[in-house]
Amino acid sequence: MMDTSIVEVINVTREVAWLPWAVQYFFLIGLSVGGVLLSLPGYAFAREDWRKLGRVALLVALTCGLAAPVALLSDLHQPGRFWHFYVVLRPTSWMWWGSIIIPFYVTGLLVYGWTCFREELQEQGRVDSRLAALYRLAALGGGRDDRLIRYAGLVVLTGAALVALYTGTEVAVVRARPLWHTPFLPLQFLATALAGATGLVLLLNRLAADGDRDVERVANRLLAGALGAVMLFGTLWLALGLFALERTHADALASVAGSEAWRVTAVWAVAATAVPFVIAVAKPVGTGLLTGLIAVHGAWMFRWTVFIGGQTVPKTGAGFYEYALPAGPDGLLGIVGTAGLWLFLLLAITAFLPTPRRAEPGPFHPIAAE
Amino acid sequence: MDQSRRNFCLGFGAATVGAATLSPAPAEAIAAREGGDPAHRWGMVVDVRKCVGCQACTVACIMENDVPENSFRTIVSTYEVTEQGRSGTYMLPRLCNHCEDPPCIPVCPTGATFQREDGIVVVDNTVCVGCAYCVQACPYDARFINHETQTADKCTFCVHRVEAGLLPACVETCVGGARIFGDLKDPDSTVSKLVRERDPRVLKPEQGTQPRVFYIGLDPKFQGKVDGTPTLWRPSAQPHADVHAGKEHA
Repeated sequence: MMDTSIVEVINVTREVAWLPWAVQYFFLIGLSVGGVLLSLPGYAFAREDWRKLGRVALLVALTCGLAAPVALLSDLHQPGRFWHFYVVLRPTSWMWWGSIIIPFYVTGLLVYGWTCFREELQEQGRVDSRLAALYRLAALGGGRDDRLIRYAGLVVLTGAALVALYTGTEVAVVRARPLWHTPFLPLQFLATALAGATGLVLLLNRLAADGDRDVERVANRLLAGALGAVMLFGTLWLALGLFALERTHADALASVAGSEAWRVTAVWAVAATAVPFVIAVAKPVGTGLLTGLIAVHGAWMFRWTVFIGGQTVPKTGAGFYEYALPAGPDGLLGIVGTAGLWLFLLLAITAFLPTPRRAEPGPFHPIAAE
Repeated sequence: MDQSRRNFCLGFGAATVGAATLSPAPAEAIAAREGGDPAHRWGMVVDVRKCVGCQACTVACIMENDVPENSFRTIVSTYEVTEQGRSGTYMLPRLCNHCEDPPCIPVCPTGATFQREDGIVVVDNTVCVGCAYCVQACPYDARFINHETQTADKCTFCVHRVEAGLLPACVETCVGGARIFGDLKDPDSTVSKLVRERDPRVLKPEQGTQPRVFYIGLDPKFQGKVDGTPTLWRPSAQPHADVHAGKEHA
């Protein structure tokens, strides 16, 4: 091999074109999908022992699911033209399929959320308050209807599966970016989304619900499972790349392996997965805020690394592009704004539907007994 | 060195036969093509041995196409190469490859970007929503978001000039005659002859895009992502990105 050194003297930097808005979108929609899945046992399958966890998960699904499309719309450089998606047939584009799937999912989520909360709306309608009429109107003259919840759950589950499919595939098909173009990416998105959603359940259980210890214990166990899946996929991804067992993974690893910053990121990601895993397994009660926070952070960081980090790998130029987070709408303001919208939605929903005060659980409580 | 220009003018509208060395586009790619004259297939041959790195093409493109500041439809990537103690400069003009199977087109969710019958890949910036999916999908970093139109932007082979029987601005201005433009369907065009006789290379052939910008004298070290030290200065729309770039080695 001849000893050659190449120094790039003139080239162009291509700035990131998928902005932090996109990170926020993929983060929030992933958490929403995870929230839906976690809410299904308690509501769609009417498992009473999962009901409290399911209610917190429903908050995750709704708040994240409603904020996500706003972030996605903002990632378009011409957001006012979003209707252009709906006047053409572009089946070759996963993004076009996404534009069909998102309204389907969000509508399904709203209907499902309504069927789940209908019981509470009816109860609130019986309370002597000025808003009672409003609650009665929102309940549409009915209460808990497990069959309706089940049907709506089936619809939203279909939507959630389609969202998971399209968000992962949309990125994985981009052959031009080796880091994205791996069959594992959709699975990694899903596993980190489940971990993030469970993490947010742990946080909201403490901050927006009554801090139930059974919910915390179960959620921490679920979190350990999701983080285990994250580690499994991560290990397989690394092994396939490291031992060049599969070309796309080898290319993906090679595209970033030479960078010190990327190695630090990898160590950080391992820590952000392993630490909450160990804590959740060793001490599932009383640690929810910590494990939840790290898990949410991990899910966000994974997307940040994939999208923003991935776009700093030049396709033709040498080395890596520098990225500095802009303070304005293309950067920090987008992140803070989306977070603010999510917080507003959480406050609005929990103000309208405060956590019901329930009687102490009866003797039959299989989860607590585990 | 205006052989390429003269040839272009003479060859315009000549009888057309498919170039033998070029494999055809996939059926679905051809089916989706719209506009332009199917009698032609425009392409470019870049003779990197003749490029002096003057960036006249870069400037001509900006002036011709009103490309916003810090954005580029074409640029001459320039490298200092040291081999066995000897240093030299390597120039590589880059632009949209107007691929026969362009990966930027199927991903477009609105149909704003499409390929004309003459092979030129264009963007209708009145339709484009600026989702930048095509920017991601291009393996050549040839696309970008134009911040004046907030839509995807790219080299068009100066389609407005070509339709008027003129050469693309970068070809017109090239002092070394390194850029040769012409009709790949015309077997007598200079580009067809060069592709036939000189066996030029394309960038990233493993991507399967079948570029229609060919390179004579393309060193394989520069065929894909260049393994080297990044430049200290890069033109960029990011105000902070042009100061400390390039601390890491690929």
